[in-house]
Amino acid sequence: MQILMKRRTTGALLFTALCTAHLCPTQLSAQDVLVQASKIVVAYGEGSTAATVLTDSALLLRDGKIAFVGADIPAEARRAARVVDYGKATISPGFVLAATTLGRDADLAEGALAFTPDLRAAEAFDPWQKELAQLATAGVTSFGLAPSPRNVAGGIGALAKAGKKQGRIETAEAFVGFSLTRAARSQERMPTSLMGALEMLRDSFKTARVGVQVGPDLAVLRQVMSGQRRALIHADTFAELNGALDLAKNFNFAPVIIGARDADKVMAKLAERGVGVVLAPLNPKARIADLELPKKLAKAGVPFCFAGRPDQLRFSAALAVRYGLDRNVANAALTRTPANLIGALTTVGSLRQGCGADFVVFEGDLLDLGSRHVATWVDGENLHGESPAGAKTSQTTNSAGGR
Amino acid sequence: MNHSLLRIAIVCTTIAIPALGQDLVAIKAKTIHTITGPSIQDGVILLQNGRIKTIAKASDVEIPWSATVIDASDKIVMPTWVLAHSSGGMRGSNESMQNVPWLTVADAIDPASTYFEGMLRNGVGTVHVLPGNNTLLAGSGLVVRPFGRTVEDMTVAANTGMKMSLLARGGSRLQKIREMRRAIAEIREYLANFHREKAEFEKEQAAGAIPEDKKWEKEIDRKKQAAVDLIEKKLKGWLYVPSFAELDEALRMGKDLDLNFVLGANLDEAMPLLTKLKAAVVLDDALEYFETDPETRKEKQYCSAKMLADAGVPFALSLASSGPSSYPWWQFGTCVRNGISRQQALEALTMVPAKMLGLSDQIGSLEVGKLGNIQILTGDPLQATTWVDTVVLEGAVVYERSKDPRLKYLFEAAKKADEPKATSKKDEGK
Amino acid sequence: MTRPIVQVLLQASVTLLLTALATAQQEVTAYTNAHILPGGKPTISNATMVVSGGKILALGGADVKVPDGAKVIDCKGMTITPGLIDASFQSSNNQQDLNEQSEEVTPHLRILDNIDPEDPLFRRARNNGVTAVHIMPGTRNVIGGLGCVIKTYGSDPKSMVIKADASMRIVMGAEPSNGNRAIRGGRVNSMYYRRPTSRMGVIWSVRRAFYDAKEALTKTQGAPGDAPPSPGTQIMMQVLQGKLTAVTTARSEQDLRTALRIAEEFGYETVIDEAQDAYMVADELAKKNAVVMLGAPSAETISGSAAQDGSAPRSGTVAVLASKGIRFVITTGTNPSALPLIREAMFAHRFGLGPQLALDAITIEPAKLLGLDDRIGSLATGKDADFVIWSHNPLDPAAVAVSVHINGMSVSQPR
Repeated sequence: MQILMKRRTTGALLFTALCTAHLCPTQLSAQDVLVQASKIVVAYGEGSTAATVLTDSALLLRDGKIAFVGADIPAEARRAARVVDYGKATISPGFVLAATTLGRDADLAEGALAFTPDLRAAEAFDPWQKELAQLATAGVTSFGLAPSPRNVAGGIGALAKAGKKQGRIETAEAFVGFSLTRAARSQERMPTSLMGALEMLRDSFKTARVGVQVGPDLAVLRQVMSGQRRALIHADTFAELNGALDLAKNFNFAPVIIGARDADKVMAKLAERGVGVVLAPLNPKARIADLELPKKLAKAGVPFCFAGRPDQLRFSAALAVRYGLDRNVANAALTRTPANLIGALTTVGSLRQGCGADFVVFEGDLLDLGSRHVATWVDGENLHGESPAGAKTSQTTNSAGGR
Repeated sequence: MNHSLLRIAIVCTTIAIPALGQDLVAIKAKTIHTITGPSIQDGVILLQNGRIKTIAKASDVEIPWSATVIDASDKIVMPTWVLAHSSGGMRGSNESMQNVPWLTVADAIDPASTYFEGMLRNGVGTVHVLPGNNTLLAGSGLVVRPFGRTVEDMTVAANTGMKMSLLARGGSRLQKIREMRRAIAEIREYLANFHREKAEFEKEQAAGAIPEDKKWEKEIDRKKQAAVDLIEKKLKGWLYVPSFAELDEALRMGKDLDLNFVLGANLDEAMPLLTKLKAAVVLDDALEYFETDPETRKEKQYCSAKMLADAGVPFALSLASSGPSSYPWWQFGTCVRNGISRQQALEALTMVPAKMLGLSDQIGSLEVGKLGNIQILTGDPLQATTWVDTVVLEGAVVYERSKDPRLKYLFEAAKKADEPKATSKKDEGK
Repeated sequence: MTRPIVQVLLQASVTLLLTALATAQQEVTAYTNAHILPGGKPTISNATMVVSGGKILALGGADVKVPDGAKVIDCKGMTITPGLIDASFQSSNNQQDLNEQSEEVTPHLRILDNIDPEDPLFRRARNNGVTAVHIMPGTRNVIGGLGCVIKTYGSDPKSMVIKADASMRIVMGAEPSNGNRAIRGGRVNSMYYRRPTSRMGVIWSVRRAFYDAKEALTKTQGAPGDAPPSPGTQIMMQVLQGKLTAVTTARSEQDLRTALRIAEEFGYETVIDEAQDAYMVADELAKKNAVVMLGAPSAETISGSAAQDGSAPRSGTVAVLASKGIRFVITTGTNPSALPLIREAMFAHRFGLGPQLALDAITIEPAKLLGLDDRIGSLATGKDADFVIWSHNPLDPAAVAVSVHINGMSVSQPR
């Protein structure tokens, strides 16, 4: 708490602390839950790393987090816990939706000005909004609440989750959102063009770098340059992408690109500079070249994930696999990669000890569109689907099982 | 309206050429391109009463002392161009109603239109004016020379055919095809009813139910006459086929009707069908177009003239009323750079359209007995630097570059910077 | 045990690949038996041109020997010209992309930010023999910003650039004020309320911008402690100091005169762009030694081409400019019905411009105007190997660019 108080002057984190405390239901008194399944994917691998998979194993959930995984679960805890048994199904980390406004664009873009990097998306979050309910249905357990692409520098995005009754903010200041797309170029105010948008950003970054005393808006840009905050930039066309990449190079930060329709034209630069990409959902009617973009990104070693409507995530990944993407990479693109791209790898995207107890249960493979979505859990609570009670006899076999 | 149609029909059912020019005209040329025969160097053409009397080498002809001599001994002489399909020179070329077969362009042609002036400047001597492409059954056309004060003056031939179009503006292609079928079916039904009533009348008369001396008095409705002629193949149809998508239907229609096709540029998808075209076709003035592959986004350029040449189908070229494709040399250049021979290109504005109009015995080449429609060019007809120097129609000089007021305006403007910015053609007279 | 072997193999193959690449660049190609129009000089018949490493090694008649081992391409019956240069090329048809319209004066904005090398407009220009283009911001702003010169082929604008800050565009006439409205109370919810609404307003904006720059110039000379001038003003200062070329777009007679007057008032030199009515002010242009970029000379009222912004384009203009000794180049410019550059030159030729002058106006003259004639615009030893092989004389309507080369590399698409 003391640390937070100190930072209050710059970032107003105190608010977040209070907000989190208020929104997150206290679960101290809740009973531990032991979730069993024949296959548990603790984390999907990225690049050459293989996925960490347990067979006939269990997770112990305590206070909304993963307390223990598989063989590490103490026998005592096992006995005390309520058992949920998913039998033959597979448990995977819940999907992470990297950047979304959840249909609240108007609240997430300050219309009068295009340059508002210090505005906080968390403040526009409505924990009761009905769109949250759709997330669990689609298997999404956490999401980056991003400023709308309608502003050139939109503001600070948050990591948020849906809940049993209401949503909550997990991390109030997760990343900074920028945009160079057509949406950011309004004919009503500055800038109206890409040239103008790039000049606006270049000029601001330059001032932020050399200025002695800077305001809260430029302070955010400084944090981007120093690597404290991840920059997510909306850019689609070649000129937008090229502009975003040049900007990042000039001011020495590695951004994440959202959209990146023409990514194959700047593939070498993306790979060389360690830039991640958040793709729009794939459309089965698109050109084959577009459907093969995920495969090409994977081949070039560019980390990527999908964003868009929650129910399009799994379908996009499956479609990308159909067009040549490695399954492992596709699975990661739903879970671990987006968590990494928005700088939230330690809290979401995998089922390692200490991470949020956010997972999805599918009858079979995640990317097999025929496999039934059995359940979604967020923060140790079952938000969607069934939670079949299991018998405690299975404990012994579980402890024998392992990786 | 019906009156004027009738009048022109009476005057012009056969080629009626009022002699425009003097009795005897001699044109001395450096080169004569006859189109149908070999070119003649240092030649002479003698015209008598508007027709070609002699074409020969200068050494073989004695020019009569009474002849008016046009000296083009440093220039190129060739037949004037023939346009088989044009909608220029009219005040309103498209009727907003879709089914108006009884109309005629004779009522819309404006002899003072700058269109005709432009055509003369480009060496065009014969224009088949037809209604525009927006109307289903649009009315009949007229072959005119781009010179004269009245439509009657200009007329070369009437009853040259009915304009039809499958162009769907704003609607769907299938809808348009359906409308065309319905329109033709209605005429057929009308005609069938007419004949049936007549047969019944005759039958009843033979049976004695109707008095012998009573005559069958009913006539074909005047508004339907032209369409009936079309159905009975007494009148040609000029069918505009905007793209490959309508070609199949057009070919089907061609089995029952006497049709000439006017093709839009976009034909690449119908290439296999093109070989089924039996007779010559007219091409839109736009000859080249780009097509982008939706998958690879690669652009490919197509040339409609080349596709037809490859399919072995003779074609006539059109000229736009403005822009580069209003120049014959531009159209030829487009053809040649797409791999069509010079001769085939030249024929596409001379013999091919003349044949399509049924006037190949009158125009389209320089041959003894044909009309003296001749242009004198400063150079090769395929070069951009070539200008039409003189146009002779039926023996009379109707255009001279040195006296062209508009060219003067465009080229000598710099000398008089303060002159008014626009001059109207009517003020200058002809 | 296997790993070192694999590594050795890998290294060997990499070395091989590098040598192969190096030889590809050093490969010598000789184009023989061609009719060469070198740009700015008379035609060479039966000529040979030797190209290597993206540059021209040798050029001439029978005296030029084909080096041993050179790849020989027989160009019999064909004509070679320098790659064409379009001194005013619009990179997009969307005006919204070409100007930052929140302000009427944006001298420091760069059109280079808005270039997509795969834009089909580049491909079409390339296939028609254009190898370098000067692109400026659009004409919706009074002072639009910085233009650049790039080659028409590349994967990245940076690799295509020949000159990044080549010019600053000033626009006269009605275009920057079209659609703008005066503020008449109420809520100001559109930027169009803030821009000039008349020709007077447009000129006033130019004047104010130059006035500010002039002020700033005197200040920098005086007190060193002052805050630096705005980036826009800094660009304007460069124009006033003669370090950056000003290009003034003016079409009608009135605007042409204004363009010359303002330049004189503030003491800078300007290239006149578009210049449809140049024939009316030919004497003034000659007196001021102004260079003219003539946009789309094929446009003339006779064939119905739209006259833009109150101008009256006439076919005689090219001949008038040539006869008065005014330096001019031919461009496609802002006319939406402009033809490919080579055809524009063909029309200029039709309208009375000699064949060499017509070709020079799209090769060496624009190179000189852009200050790049040491690299491009003509064919000579040591220059960039940007050239076009034509099927006919390029001024023949039947001519096609058989192949187009940039830095020695063939970049055209087969038809």
